[in-house]
Amino acid sequence: MAKGVYTTRSKELVRRETTSAYLFLLPSLVFFIGFVIIPMIICVYTSFFDSTMGKDAKDVFIGFGNYIELFRDGIFLKALKNTFVIVIISVPVVCIFSLWVSSVIYNLNDKVLSVFRCIFYLPVVTGSVAVTVVWKWMYNNYYGIFNYIGKSSGILKTNINWLGDERFALACIILILLTTSVGQPIVLYVSALGNVDNSLVEAAQVDGANEMQLFWKIKWPQIMPTTLYILVITTINSFQCFALIQLLTSGGPNHSTDTVMYYIYYMAFKMFRYGYGNAMGVVLAIFIAVLSAVQFRLAKEK
Amino acid sequence: MKKLLLAGLTLTAAGMLAACGGGKADQSSAAADSKADTKAATDGETAISLWTYPVGKWGDAATVDGIVKKFNEKHPEIKVTVEYLDYQNGDDQINTAIEGKQAPDIVLEGPERLVANWGAKGLMVDLKDMFEKDAASDIYDRVKSACVSPEGAYYEYPAFMVAHCMAINKTMFEKANALQYLDLDSHTWSTEDFLKAVQAVYDSGQQNVGAIYCASQGGDQGTRALVNNLYSGTFTDKDHTKYTADSPENIKALQAIVDQAGLNFDPSIAGGDEITLFRNGTLAMSFCWNASQQTNTDNGAAGLTNAGDEIIPMLFPSDDKVTELCGGIWGYGVFNNGDEKKIEAAKTFIDFVCNDESEVKESVKASGFFPVRPSVTGVYDGTDNAETMKLFEDKFMPSMGDYYQVTKGWTTARTEWWNMLQRIGTGGDVATEVATFTKNANAAAAQ
Repeated sequence: MAKGVYTTRSKELVRRETTSAYLFLLPSLVFFIGFVIIPMIICVYTSFFDSTMGKDAKDVFIGFGNYIELFRDGIFLKALKNTFVIVIISVPVVCIFSLWVSSVIYNLNDKVLSVFRCIFYLPVVTGSVAVTVVWKWMYNNYYGIFNYIGKSSGILKTNINWLGDERFALACIILILLTTSVGQPIVLYVSALGNVDNSLVEAAQVDGANEMQLFWKIKWPQIMPTTLYILVITTINSFQCFALIQLLTSGGPNHSTDTVMYYIYYMAFKMFRYGYGNAMGVVLAIFIAVLSAVQFRLAKEK
Repeated sequence: MKKLLLAGLTLTAAGMLAACGGGKADQSSAAADSKADTKAATDGETAISLWTYPVGKWGDAATVDGIVKKFNEKHPEIKVTVEYLDYQNGDDQINTAIEGKQAPDIVLEGPERLVANWGAKGLMVDLKDMFEKDAASDIYDRVKSACVSPEGAYYEYPAFMVAHCMAINKTMFEKANALQYLDLDSHTWSTEDFLKAVQAVYDSGQQNVGAIYCASQGGDQGTRALVNNLYSGTFTDKDHTKYTADSPENIKALQAIVDQAGLNFDPSIAGGDEITLFRNGTLAMSFCWNASQQTNTDNGAAGLTNAGDEIIPMLFPSDDKVTELCGGIWGYGVFNNGDEKKIEAAKTFIDFVCNDESEVKESVKASGFFPVRPSVTGVYDGTDNAETMKLFEDKFMPSMGDYYQVTKGWTTARTEWWNMLQRIGTGGDVATEVATFTKNANAAAAQ
């Protein structure tokens, strides 16, 4: 009897707590469903239609027509290639650079550490438009500081049109992306390295491990979850590179800085081809999902 | 306490759900504001919305509020709410509003949007009755023809216009002894003299004489006019049915630009950037000029560069000395929102700002441009800009050419144009690239 009362009370408690939990979750859930899940479903659905604003015949079902067109569209393929170049270069560089900086600064005294964190985090908290405008000025073909330094030091004979030359434009974009991407990983790595179990480090030192061995055998496995998180976040951010392109080059010259994100924007909001733009969005999401899954898998194996 | 918390949470969730439900109406804040104002109209009062692109001071609230106030003194029964658009996002805002059935009643823009875009899609009201009134009888024919669709419907009632030209830095030309190639009385020059002048300025040590800006479509009327005028080419056929930029004349012109030292294709700048570079003395000439730029005092005295050099406006060079300038014609279009009362109120407002004797000059003056009919004179008399505006009215406005911006596929053609310039600027073969442009633009025109 007593057991039955206890079970009933326990169930009642669980039920009430579950209800409370769901009610607490409800506000964010409503937003998540309204602004993420439903648009995602609409995006996938619309990608099978010729949904172009202003066309007489609206929303004509064309099956995989948009997807087939995508892989025949030279500009999309170029944008896809550029996007992968950005990801392939920026993800390892951001991870390695931020790990190196963090390794150097994480055990400095608090004040110095704060100064370094502040310096590296500044581009993250500064408005992207402001950052981009400053970079645009530095890259300026006519009076930019890079050309000034290059010419006054004798490295350059004539000005280089950094953002207007196919050979340099994408590299210039990647450079800006790197400076704005390392802040968060550095903060995360500093925190992760600070949380490494010191007893293991000391034990390894007693056993005669050198600095490299300490890092790879003791610290690296412990900061692996952080590394994985940074890899995934940096990959997604690199895939979604848009504002820099929009503000600096509009994809030019000659589509040399077009990225998938920018091309989606261009097709959807300049050419008003929503169906085609959504098909690109779906393809991009698949690429990001696959790459993230691979990263998780590799990290898990390690 | 817990019940209170739960009640609060439930209310929050309900509020959020309500916010989600209202999302569609919020697609455009401008649309929502207009709707709210429409509801605010009292019985017997008609509320209409006016959305303006930033055409001179028609993008300035103080100026437009003053115009609306004067309108309301004559027509207190019509309430006008104004939304200010910019060229970066304006099209998106209007298209979103159209999709959400929240289109404004009146929009101030040019034929490329009012006639060739929204008009062609059947979204605008035919304003033919307004053109049949006496006030419209002396609107220039070339202006009228830009406001009418191929089917004969008038989707724009024109208000003001300007002819886009180019400009040179007099000091730099003097230093290079290149002023000899300019006819400063008529503000004209031949193609041959233009190329000689560029070479002379380049030889004087000015590496960047002019820039063929092509980062985006901003200011592209300048590059189009330069190319089309050099050897008398055309951008479209006379009937505005197809793009003709691949003509031998245009190919010759583009090749001449490619070959000319000092004229550099620059995919890192657009029209606005080029003007900045011209004003700060980096470039010796600008291809993106007009009367409004000449009277601009943002960076110093009107008609001078930042360093104080004199700016001389010029017609684009032409082999036959008959220059056709690219024009801008701005006016009002009325969206057909299905409410006859609102449509009539919109027409009343347009009639006031375009035809009312007490207002028409002020409306034109607010734009910084020129009237669309010869009977409206002396708009700038007594102002600081009177002399400059007279110069433009006499020497430049008569050269306004064919308004081809109403050709079908215009949005695509504009994009294809600056992309083509980028390809040519990075070594693409002129004939091939121009053929690609024409093929893509005509494909869009045929859709």
